[in-house]
Amino acid sequence: MVSASRSPAVDPATDAPGRRRSWRVALLAPGLLWTLIFFVVPLVVMVVYSFGQIDIITFQTTFGWTLDNYRRLANDIYLHTILRSLEMSIGATIGCLLVGYPVAYTIARQKGRTQTLLLLGVMVPFWTSFVVRTYAWVNLLSNDGLVTRALRGLGLESDSSQLIYTPTAVTIGIVYTYLPLMVLPLYVALERIDPQLLQAASDLGAGWFGRFRRVVLPLSMPGVIAGCILVGVPATGEYVIPAILGGDKTLMYGNVVANQFLKVGDYPFGSALAVSLMLLVTGFLLITRGRLARAEEIT
Amino acid sequence: MSHRLPAPSAVFTALVFVFLYLPIGIVVLNSFNADEALLGWGGFTTQWYSQAFSNSRVRDDFVTSLQVALASTAISLVIAVTAGLWMRRASTRARRALDATTYMRIVLPEVVVALALFLVLRRYEIPLGVPAIVAGHVIFNSAYATLIIQARLATMTDVLEEAAADLGASPVRTFRRVTLPLLMPAVIVAALLTLSFSFDDVVTSLFLGGPNAETLPVLLLGLIRLHVTPEVNAIAVGVTAITMVTFGLAAAVMSIRDAAGVRTGQVDPATLEAEEAK
Repeated sequence: MVSASRSPAVDPATDAPGRRRSWRVALLAPGLLWTLIFFVVPLVVMVVYSFGQIDIITFQTTFGWTLDNYRRLANDIYLHTILRSLEMSIGATIGCLLVGYPVAYTIARQKGRTQTLLLLGVMVPFWTSFVVRTYAWVNLLSNDGLVTRALRGLGLESDSSQLIYTPTAVTIGIVYTYLPLMVLPLYVALERIDPQLLQAASDLGAGWFGRFRRVVLPLSMPGVIAGCILVGVPATGEYVIPAILGGDKTLMYGNVVANQFLKVGDYPFGSALAVSLMLLVTGFLLITRGRLARAEEIT
Repeated sequence: MSHRLPAPSAVFTALVFVFLYLPIGIVVLNSFNADEALLGWGGFTTQWYSQAFSNSRVRDDFVTSLQVALASTAISLVIAVTAGLWMRRASTRARRALDATTYMRIVLPEVVVALALFLVLRRYEIPLGVPAIVAGHVIFNSAYATLIIQARLATMTDVLEEAAADLGASPVRTFRRVTLPLLMPAVIVAALLTLSFSFDDVVTSLFLGGPNAETLPVLLLGLIRLHVTPEVNAIAVGVTAITMVTFGLAAAVMSIRDAAGVRTGQVDPATLEAEEAK
């Protein structure tokens, strides 16, 4: 995007190099200072805290470079919650992919105005308020909600059980909220596929499944990976959706971290949880970035 | 290809559209529902809206949301434009380094970033509240704004600016009369997007607002967890309308800009003449 080669042209405005340099520093200052003070320094402080210890009686933090907080993280209760949380975010990402792919494919096969309208139709719900989008499912999934009643009618749900405050409810909420982020990159990848390739595959005797598996799917891989990043990353650190649809029963990683800071007040342990979440997301990004680069090379 | 639409995927797409619009549709419908228990349709009413509008907490939170959104947008734009201009002349390595910090501000979980700031504020006993929320919002908003401004700058040549300088315009005047007008579409899009991101944000506003400041989405989150009332639906529709209008405007400006893409990048002789005259 920015990589367009731009020769390091001499700033024509001034000839004095000293004055020019001070201009340049002044341009860099606002962003750099803000990022340092409110982003980099706090994260560093958090990493330092994660190796600290808290006195339960006085709530004083001491810094002893202990690994206790990280050991506690491997504790059954927390590990269980974290793994279940990851299960939900992976499930939701796959859900988005399964729901989003046919939609993106259908849109990519349309032309002109219809295509624009359909794309807009996918995007508009994304413009509505995030809380409201999640809240909308409270009605549907509650005990006498539309979805619960429909499932009961079909015999898929027993009379006593309800969907809200379950992992299923949280997963549905994430799929609903992030679906546009999956459809858009898929659409971009699918739209680029030359219809002649499909024609050629057809002429060579490939059925619809053969065409999909051998032509469409491999060529849309960059879109699949990009979509999984766009959905998977925010879903891993999700806070609002489980707070609304998970109640107190179904917590996700983000809620566990926040509770340590806001309710328990154990900053060192909370920091260890937060740093681990950060590493998890960064690791996921590094792995998928390599995959994305390779997939783009092929197509 | 357009006529060989495979029926199953079209049907499925139609169902997905129902899935996308039905939940919000029900919220909108219920905000006009006279049945207080929301068990069925009790007739049309606007009483929940008048109740919400006369609720002083809703009004206060709306003002707080607006303050936060405007302040964080203004600061984010300054950061984005200056960073963008700096990047134009920076070495590839320096640019990559700044790019990395921009992306990190977007991709790291908001929960973590907001809590890190929370931790520092607590440690140095700096009170939570509107300034803290603004500080937090600018972290991600300035990153989005920088990406938008950068994308625009990447398509611009510096011919016009060089011409203005050759004609004797000072750097400040060149920026004001040439660079900024060319950047304007991107600045508007960035402003609208950051306004709506800020107005819509829950996590940072919740963690950094503390007991001193509450934005509308945070109020809504609290009300939802308490219990659902028809008034909540009315507030929800109000908040949604605000975010939707700003997002919609951003999209509209973007598509106008795309349509007029060539024109905005072109040499505007009037600007040059004006500079020459001075």
